[in-house]
Amino acid sequence: MDKAQCPACARLQEPRLICSFCGAPLAAELDCFAALGLPQRLTLDPAQLEHLYHDLGRRLHPDRFANQPAAVQAASLKSTALLTRAFRTLREPVSRGLYWLELRGEKLSADNKQVPPTLVELIFELQEALAELRTAAPAERDGLVAAMRQRRQELTEALAGALRELTANFARWDEGGDPVHLTRELKEILSHIAYLRSVLRDVDRELGDGTI
Amino acid sequence: MASIYGIDLGTTNSLIAVMDGAHPKVIPDPVTGDKLLPSVVALMADGRVATGKAAIELEPSLNVEREGAISPAVVNPEAAGAVIRSVKRYMGLGGDEIAPEDRHRYTFTDFSGPVVRFQIGQRSFTPPQISAEILKALKARAEAVAGEAVEKAVITVPAYFNDGQRQATKDAGRLAGLEVVRLVNEPTAASLAYGLHKMAAGKVAVYDFGGGTFDISVLNLKEGIFEVLATNGDTHLGGDDIDVALVNLLLEGLPEEVKRDRRVWNSARHIAEEGKKRLSGVAETTLKLNLPGREIERSLTRAQLEEIAAPLVARTLECCGRALKDAGLEAGQIDAVVLVGGSTRMPLVRQKVAEFFGRDPLCSLDPDLVVAMGAAVQAGVLMGSQSDVLLLDVVPLSLGIETMGGVMERLVHRNTTVPTSVTELFTTAVDNQTHVDVHVLQGEREFARDCRSLARFKLGPIAPQPAGVPRIEVTFLIDANGILNVTARDQRTGHEHSVDVKPSYGLTDEEVERMLEDALDQGEADINQRLLIQVRNAADEILSALDKQLKEFPELVDPEEKSFIDVIAGSLRAARKGEDREMIGNLVEQLNIVSAPFAQRIMDQAIKEALEKRNVDEV
Repeated sequence: MDKAQCPACARLQEPRLICSFCGAPLAAELDCFAALGLPQRLTLDPAQLEHLYHDLGRRLHPDRFANQPAAVQAASLKSTALLTRAFRTLREPVSRGLYWLELRGEKLSADNKQVPPTLVELIFELQEALAELRTAAPAERDGLVAAMRQRRQELTEALAGALRELTANFARWDEGGDPVHLTRELKEILSHIAYLRSVLRDVDRELGDGTI
Repeated sequence: MASIYGIDLGTTNSLIAVMDGAHPKVIPDPVTGDKLLPSVVALMADGRVATGKAAIELEPSLNVEREGAISPAVVNPEAAGAVIRSVKRYMGLGGDEIAPEDRHRYTFTDFSGPVVRFQIGQRSFTPPQISAEILKALKARAEAVAGEAVEKAVITVPAYFNDGQRQATKDAGRLAGLEVVRLVNEPTAASLAYGLHKMAAGKVAVYDFGGGTFDISVLNLKEGIFEVLATNGDTHLGGDDIDVALVNLLLEGLPEEVKRDRRVWNSARHIAEEGKKRLSGVAETTLKLNLPGREIERSLTRAQLEEIAAPLVARTLECCGRALKDAGLEAGQIDAVVLVGGSTRMPLVRQKVAEFFGRDPLCSLDPDLVVAMGAAVQAGVLMGSQSDVLLLDVVPLSLGIETMGGVMERLVHRNTTVPTSVTELFTTAVDNQTHVDVHVLQGEREFARDCRSLARFKLGPIAPQPAGVPRIEVTFLIDANGILNVTARDQRTGHEHSVDVKPSYGLTDEEVERMLEDALDQGEADINQRLLIQVRNAADEILSALDKQLKEFPELVDPEEKSFIDVIAGSLRAARKGEDREMIGNLVEQLNIVSAPFAQRIMDQAIKEALEKRNVDEV
């Protein structure tokens, strides 16, 4: 990797967010894990992640460099933006998984958004019920809404299950499992989650804001 | 390092504050002791400017007329100037974005352009220029008290202000000769003022209901870090709306031309506002409006006021619900609720907020001062004297670009912590295309046409290549002020592209530069000559207006008064031919004073006639 030059003390060094000589922001180009000083591992402790983010944020934020030369201010802005993006990307497991694919030159394409085989029946019923609810007379609505809430509950359980599978997949990556197999599995889980979430949004839109 | 000052540039009132040791202190006017400067600017045709109370005093006689309104003053109203309130409601907006009720308050020269312009006599002013006058007055106040030049400031803005409104606020600062070191969101500033960082950890909701805007911010506090989780609001919802409803109630049943009269409307608004404030302490009050030949008295109970305010308060709570949802929290998970803004003095507001969050809100600091105090704390942070505190604010609205089929592709989601950046790869659609047009949008809707156009820019020139081959990396960076910056780079050559961003609304950098230069040019021109011309114009205006009115209303002037007016008018006519600027000015003022009762009678008669006409009609 190219060396980075500090905008404040001009010393060359390994790319990182903060100059190891003078503590100024370095604005190096880094991946999200490196930005937070983390090894590339998918299992993350949310509390530790937040702690790192706050600690680095405190040292890098433009507020700290308001009376510094323009180059230092620009570096502070750039590295804080990078830090923020890294934190937001890694904080949430689904976006962390998607980013992991991106790092490997893979991505979830639209045709990956498939109906999870185990849920075909539930989702089929649900789509029918949604169509029925959209055209229901006001008198019938209450009963249909109650049934829909029951199905929504099943959906959220399925989503929770998919998220548990995601955590398990992450653990297998960290244990050094077969990348080809794990990539396929990760794509499958992420596409199931994407699908479930979009169905849930449909359901919630139909039910109004009350259930959220 | 020179001190950085904190400024609350409010819809109704503005304040300036500074850190005094470890505590923020609002700087009062050195003469009157007032901490609040009413955000009112009077611009006179001769170039004179008054702000605050002085501007309010000019209000009855100085107004750009609305069509059909009764002529209030001796001087020609077209040339007299205007008194502008609530200029914040116009900041950074294009004509088509101004709320319908705000369109008729003043005369505008240009409603179709990227920025509205107030018409005052022969001149026109943009909202940042008018806001700059408020900032200049605050700057002068602080300079008088501190005995040092005030050059740098933190200015607060509603959290829900979009990019254009923020940019306009920065422009106003520049036009006032201030370096705006940072824009801070008002609710966030308020949480700083409360010193909530002493609270170890917790979730805080800041409910900011001011004169013109409503904001709600939900924050996560941890070891001095103020992290905004979500924000929501309405930039056109405030105590002003309650006042207007009360004015309509007060003037109910009066003829249209009386209602439309600015002087009547202004005093009704003043009486309505005072009545509203009294009802925070008592259950019932009387609104008394003195009109020529008629006194209007209406009793108003707190219950009635609350009936008017209830739908507005309900709207604020809807915003609270959305902010909580975005933050992923339930109302019960909030550990503290902070009240900001004058409208939170209403008992109804306190009660509804307490019900919504299930806890009593904090209101130990004066809700009118708390935002300015917080701005001063943030100024302290920027000066390095408050190193334990760090603000992590968010962008209130999603940012994206227009893609094929007019769809808005979201690049930065709302409530993303700033500063933040996102990089997008652009290429060409046809062979040898030399430019790529990019349209940047802000908003939450799916289609570009429903979002707010933020800016447009052209990427290029691009060397002729087959379609899809050029790869231009565009970085959209939102800085800590919530303002967008765009840079572009050719991915292959690594060359930076210059990006000339044309804001869809508001002023371009060049326009701000020009305004600054114009101001300087004027300073260098022969001031005496200019002032002489102005004072002569003022003389002409009052002389011709008086001539006309003496002919039209001879029965309204008594003989002694008439001879007095004639004598002074004669002296003024003579002096006007000479060069003695001071003498002309004095005579204009004297003539204004002696003719004021006459003008008043003309005005009163017009209203009386309108009222009588109505009485006859009613019979």
